[in-house]
Amino acid sequence: MFWQKEIETAPHSEIQKLQLRMLNDTIERAKKSKFYSKKLQNVNQLKNIEQIQELPFTTKEDLRGGFPYDFLAVDLGEVVRLHSSSGTTGNPTVVYHTAQDLQSWANISARCMYAAGARKNDIFQNTMGYGLFTGGLGFHYGAERLGMMTIPIGPGNSKRQTWFMQNFGTTTVHILPSYAVRLYHSMKEDGIDPKKDLKLKIFFIGAEPHTEELRREIQELYGLKAFNSYGLSEISGPGVAFECGEQDGMHIWEDFVIPEIIDPDTLEVLPDGQEGELVLTAINRRAMPVIRYRTRDLTKILPSPCACGRTHRKIARIKGRTDDMMIINGVNIFPIQIEKTIMNIPEASKNYIIEIAEKNYMDKLSVKIEINDEAFDGTLEDLEKLKHKIETELKSETGVSPIVSFVDQGTLPAAEGKAKRVYDLRKK
Amino acid sequence: MPFHLSVFLENKPGRLEKIMKVLSEHKINLSAMSLASAGNFGVVKLLVDDPQKAFDELKKQKITVTKRKIAAVVIGNVPGAFYDLLRKLSDRGTNIEDCYGFLLNDGKTAAIVLEIENQPEAEKVLKDIDANVLDEDKIYNY
Ligand SMILES: [Zn+2]
Repeated sequence: MFWQKEIETAPHSEIQKLQLRMLNDTIERAKKSKFYSKKLQNVNQLKNIEQIQELPFTTKEDLRGGFPYDFLAVDLGEVVRLHSSSGTTGNPTVVYHTAQDLQSWANISARCMYAAGARKNDIFQNTMGYGLFTGGLGFHYGAERLGMMTIPIGPGNSKRQTWFMQNFGTTTVHILPSYAVRLYHSMKEDGIDPKKDLKLKIFFIGAEPHTEELRREIQELYGLKAFNSYGLSEISGPGVAFECGEQDGMHIWEDFVIPEIIDPDTLEVLPDGQEGELVLTAINRRAMPVIRYRTRDLTKILPSPCACGRTHRKIARIKGRTDDMMIINGVNIFPIQIEKTIMNIPEASKNYIIEIAEKNYMDKLSVKIEINDEAFDGTLEDLEKLKHKIETELKSETGVSPIVSFVDQGTLPAAEGKAKRVYDLRKK
Repeated sequence: MPFHLSVFLENKPGRLEKIMKVLSEHKINLSAMSLASAGNFGVVKLLVDDPQKAFDELKKQKITVTKRKIAAVVIGNVPGAFYDLLRKLSDRGTNIEDCYGFLLNDGKTAAIVLEIENQPEAEKVLKDIDANVLDEDKIYNY
């Protein structure tokens, strides 16, 4: 049932005591970094966990501004690994790990996979990107720690993915939800029915926001259980929070991070159950402790205890990122609202992009959807009906009138890395 | 039952060309077509001499295509001939979803292709009105 029963099921008051101790240690360690030596110079030992609210926030811009070593809290000689975000503009966000950091990260990743039902006899295929991106290596070491035979295949090449699954009897897979859908279609083209021809049991899905509808669809296509995961490289990577067998919210490992939800405008801490921006303090990191990091991810802490017996609180599925929010003629929209709508229309294909353009000082939202080969009956009339249906549903979900059009199958950018779905063509 | 092909067409340069290239490369002859568009996308109906082969080859190229049942009626190439056919059909309550025509080799007659996918009764109606319905192989290779 549990990877580490004692800590996973400890009474919440015990967890809070542990958190206070770990937070105080973290503050002392953080003060050794250039950035926090200034930021925390007047901070002394905290007496209770609520006092975390008196600490300053750390933002993505702070991390960028501290490039390359301002956040490093140990000698460079202690560092064994570096991960980095793709810095398309300006400095990338660089994150350092000591050997101990990697061990504790592997441990929580193993804990996640174990909670989802993975065991040491499982065969694990990791289709996430290896390299600077933490998705691949994070679960790789977690899976090895758990004891699974790990196939470090990396992303793409659907035929090869399927070949490994067939020949080695893969049971567990770490996969992007958008890629899971594409992989299924590739299997189908080759006459492979994953339900009958493969031994898949569990998908770990994550690294891009997705809907409950998409999860259910993946489960049905493959005949397995798909578990949602959450993580971010600034804290470590995947494994920060994970769904248990209940599949109803993700347990956030409170002996690894302290979660808070804030109002992104007023910066006020919100009570459990209220939606806002997730703020995380990493309390078990050596090379680079990050305090009250503003993740820009929107979610809420779910207040109820979990039937699985774990006492670490859960966060809801990520609703979007504060910086993913699109403002269309003054209306706030999240891409996930569009995804959810499309997922609920079975005749519509699941490959789509969102384009925002500007015409005569008005924003124009277009959704381009690949034609669904299976649902195409050959009449323009039915295509127009479907177009109208999608437009109506999108309007009722978002409050904005979009223009829907269909494009040839296979022409939208392949979703083998993170699927880029939003193209903002407006002049900035 | 004879059929033609209905192909999804994105309204962009080169898309119709791509379809024709597939037909050309497999020596498939196009006898007639019709195109309907709704802004950014549309549907093209193709009457070809080997529709099954055309269907398979288009699919291989990831072109979205489906088969639709048709009936082809021969009428005289004279004023009022098509009107006459339509009048007889509408008298019997048969609505035509999609149709197009092409002149036959003798120049004196024309074939009208009627899509009857959603009108199973159309076949009987055509018989009742004594329409000159072409046999399947004649449709593809007149
Ligand atoms: Zn649980």
